[in-house]
Amino acid sequence: MRPVIYVEGLSVAYEDKLALEEVSFELREPAFLSVIGPNGSGKTTLLKALLGMVKPLSGTVEVLGYRVPGEEYEVRRRTGYVPQRERIDPTKPVLVKDVVLMGRVAKRGWGRGLTREDYEAARKALEVVGMEGFWDEPFSHLSGGQQQRVLIARALAVQPQLLLLDEPLSGVDAATQDVILKVLREEARKGVAVVMVTHDLNPLLEVSDYVMLLNKTVVAFGRAEEVLNEYLLARTFMRRVSVVKAGEKVVVSGVDHHA
Amino acid sequence: MLDMLFHPAMIRPLVAVIIASIVSSVVGVFTVLRGFSTLSAAITHSSFAGASIAVIYGVNPLLGALAVSLGFSGLTAYASRGNERRADVFVGMMFGFSTAIAVLFLSLARTYTATAWSFIVGDVLGVSLIDLYTLVAVAVVALCIVALFYKEFKFITFDPEAAEAMGLRASLYHYLMVFLIALFSVVAVKVVGIILAVVLLVAPAAAAYEFSHGLERMLSLSLLVSLASGVAGFLLSLYFNVATSAMIGICASAAYLAALLASPKRRRCAKCKEVATSRRVAKEV
Repeated sequence: MRPVIYVEGLSVAYEDKLALEEVSFELREPAFLSVIGPNGSGKTTLLKALLGMVKPLSGTVEVLGYRVPGEEYEVRRRTGYVPQRERIDPTKPVLVKDVVLMGRVAKRGWGRGLTREDYEAARKALEVVGMEGFWDEPFSHLSGGQQQRVLIARALAVQPQLLLLDEPLSGVDAATQDVILKVLREEARKGVAVVMVTHDLNPLLEVSDYVMLLNKTVVAFGRAEEVLNEYLLARTFMRRVSVVKAGEKVVVSGVDHHA
Repeated sequence: MLDMLFHPAMIRPLVAVIIASIVSSVVGVFTVLRGFSTLSAAITHSSFAGASIAVIYGVNPLLGALAVSLGFSGLTAYASRGNERRADVFVGMMFGFSTAIAVLFLSLARTYTATAWSFIVGDVLGVSLIDLYTLVAVAVVALCIVALFYKEFKFITFDPEAAEAMGLRASLYHYLMVFLIALFSVVAVKVVGIILAVVLLVAPAAAAYEFSHGLERMLSLSLLVSLASGVAGFLLSLYFNVATSAMIGICASAAYLAALLASPKRRRCAKCKEVATSRRVAKEV
């Protein structure tokens, strides 16, 4: 069986600045992978490289069995993507239903209208994230956490094989973080490969199957319990980090979440 | 005043104004939401250059405007992909370059003054039947593009990054949107001229934005404001015997200023600031 994601020796640069250097890892089966690293560590670039949105300097990338770049549109058609919420201008006049249906538009192919099936998928996705009562609401009227849930619903509405999320827990309260993680965990259980990028460690320690520590290159990749130790985290964040185990819970301190 | 409106000689100019208003209302919405106002000004100047070149070679100026503005928009769309700073510089440079070309060719033309003036401020009362057919054809093409790709345009306008990541060919739709502005500029160069084209394009859509939380509503309001400004400006210009393009520009600008003053979005913004200030004061106390 081909791995869901196979990356070997990937390097990416923006003009004269190296963003990723010799990144290699393999996700053999659909699972929940958290990519953790400080700001500027290349997390977003890694997501973009998986979708063929940045040109690699070198290396091999295969996603869902398709080579990237080359067959990136096959990958994109099978992917639900959640960008950083800060990159979206929430004052643009769109309704919640418009946002969720956008994902379906991309899958339909150009010039083809939306069908009842598309509307049903969009409504179901909103229901999954607990936003079904907001169908006709303006997106700009929602709180940050609600907006984030709608963006996740848009990604779910395409019924993806792969979910890529860029900082979905950033700027949302603990209750919303719980909802988001529960939804993503459930998707992973159903066989969707989930790759979530974050610099916020604590909320995801219990939900991730695998964790990648990234700081331009892969510092560590493995099961959460193998990777999340003080030595590797300190190497990733370049500062002292404490990992405290309280029963089944693991708490990390010393990482500046807004660094 | 209404008698003048139904005078046979006024039908053709009125139809031209209505066509320009319809195209501007639709294209304007995407121009405003994507922040293409400066780009649209540059493209209308390139259509000025195209019209000027056409005058020298004895071709219909509207066809010249169409050819050059399409070429220029393609170049600009190509240059503006990826690097915003480079795009900004490129648009600024082309703005001046296309104006220079227009002035150069007009200086070579014998009918310099009248022709130049008609491109700069429009000549809606001089719209010929061929001009009208050209405007209708260009408008139909522009509206068909919007109707066919409306949902894709909505996605690209709201969240271009996710649109690309989820399989839309973002660059293709980027080109199409810039082509739409080029098509509008062809219509505008005859009706309101290059200087006032941007006002007709941007003001109705910007006014509609202040009262809209959904794109469909913004499009409907933009159409309403654009038609009202166009027809009112046309009628007032006949009544006061002044330049039509100037009156259309004044009406569209007035509509925008009125919308800005009455905007519920601005009021809400001011209210939020008040609440934030009172909370800060309470904290400090």
